[in-house]
Amino acid sequence: MTLNMPVALGGDSDNHYDVVIIGGGPAGATAAIYTARADLKTLVLDKGLTAGALGLTAKIANYPGLAQAIGGAELLQVMRGQAEAFGAVFAQDKVQGVDLEGELKTIYANSATYTARAVVIATGSMGRGQRVAGEDRLLGRGVSYCATCDAAFFRDQVVLVAGNSDEAVEEALFLTRFVRHVHFLSPTPEIKAPEHLIHELSAHPKVTVYHGATVREVLGQDRVEAVRFGVRGQAEQTLAVTGAFIYLQGGKPITDFLQGQLAVSETGCLMVDREYQTGVPGVYAVGDVLCNHVKQAVVAAAEGAVAGMAVEKHLHGRAQLAVDWSK
Amino acid sequence: MPMLNDDVRKQIRAAFADLSGPVNLVLFTQGEGGALECEYCAETRQLLEEVTALSDKLTLEVRDFVADAEAVSSLGIDKIPAVAVQRGGAQPKDYGIRLFGVPSGYEFATLIEDIKMVSRGAVDLAAPTRQALERLTKPVHIQVYVTPTCPYCPRAVVLAHKLALASEFVTADMVEATEFPHLANRYQVYGVPRTVINDVIHIEGAQPEQQVLAQLLQVLDDQTMARLRVDWEAHLN
Repeated sequence: MTLNMPVALGGDSDNHYDVVIIGGGPAGATAAIYTARADLKTLVLDKGLTAGALGLTAKIANYPGLAQAIGGAELLQVMRGQAEAFGAVFAQDKVQGVDLEGELKTIYANSATYTARAVVIATGSMGRGQRVAGEDRLLGRGVSYCATCDAAFFRDQVVLVAGNSDEAVEEALFLTRFVRHVHFLSPTPEIKAPEHLIHELSAHPKVTVYHGATVREVLGQDRVEAVRFGVRGQAEQTLAVTGAFIYLQGGKPITDFLQGQLAVSETGCLMVDREYQTGVPGVYAVGDVLCNHVKQAVVAAAEGAVAGMAVEKHLHGRAQLAVDWSK
Repeated sequence: MPMLNDDVRKQIRAAFADLSGPVNLVLFTQGEGGALECEYCAETRQLLEEVTALSDKLTLEVRDFVADAEAVSSLGIDKIPAVAVQRGGAQPKDYGIRLFGVPSGYEFATLIEDIKMVSRGAVDLAAPTRQALERLTKPVHIQVYVTPTCPYCPRAVVLAHKLALASEFVTADMVEATEFPHLANRYQVYGVPRTVINDVIHIEGAQPEQQVLAQLLQVLDDQTMARLRVDWEAHLN
């Protein structure tokens, strides 16, 4: 008999950082440029290059200094390279929770647990708002947000995956190792994931992909029994499934992993002071996760710059922001 | 072949560097040539032997699930492999912290955290939580169902184990759902972590401390518990 999971503690031997930045979009990457350049040990945790709004943008033509239009992912890659050149570390990981109390903050991610003296939240605003009918009622009764956690309960069964991100595709492919069949419902005509993942999904014999399919309701008494969905221009359809794995995105600030540790506005966004510090000392927030934000990459980057300097000021006990550490 | 590689041993040694008090791990397994089926008993034993070798503060006590009936009964062991994480040394103490099933994958971190917690003999629960636990007058049995591939699960288990360490009335089990499918079925576990309190209170996901506490305190309300039990028994039937 062999174990179905290796025995290991996540991450490297040393998972302590001066600053952990959650989200690697323009706000997070720019904050990393500033903190790393200030010689702070900096980690950026990000779900993937194409996980956020800029990474999904086909062309950006109004970023100052770049006269030629550039792909969003390409621009991000340049920003990340710049931060890495100053010593920042980028890790592809999904943050599940945080403990922000006290001087030492803890960040719980899929692959490891990290500690840091300062945290910058730059998670953007592609979080979900409204739930699908039946979703909350049947959570834990067939509705799941984690295929890697729960796939074993759906062995030889037929399940649904709803989403259009690389995370949704990867989770669907993971499920194929356990289930009989996966119905993959993408809410958009195109799946927004790397080409090789889309190809693997589309070619998989256990997967049926539905493009432009909107999930209307998860049906069932005590357990998930079916799902009702619609495709524009077609009659509504119902699929018999016992599991519904949901990875849909929306336009809400992503704050669920904070589990109420920071105050949010009525619209669900984080609130900060002039230096982008939240109500908890040492915890900052920048970019689209904030209120009344102009959703432009250059604005997010500028906020990241100010927060990066504010983190340095906080950790070094300065009275004022230091603008250029090369002097 | 060792289960822990050099890098993992290095990490554990670093984690154990500041262990203060002694910790005794009591493993319940099946006897040599026993007739019971235990999928991961041998692996659990090897794992615990390797872990306890990494600090002189740790001891491993191996008990037989069939032959050691008294220990099985006194520690409330009803399935194997089972691990009780206890204070060791001259003043041993059982806090009611249990791991049922092999603590592999993400749950390995839970085992290490349990050892550190019991060694300290103290946990970092919020003041309102401690005050609420002092109101308990009845036994509370928490089961947290997990899978080794669930990154959310250790937070739910460690919180339950903290509650067990902080209160004489609380016992808390990690239960690896795929190793005990009859229990997963009994408690309708289709997603993890799923926390079950005194059989009838069910919590989905890794909820924050105050939310778990609010659910847990329902055990003090006899009417609520009676109503939940009726619902629960209806499900069983």
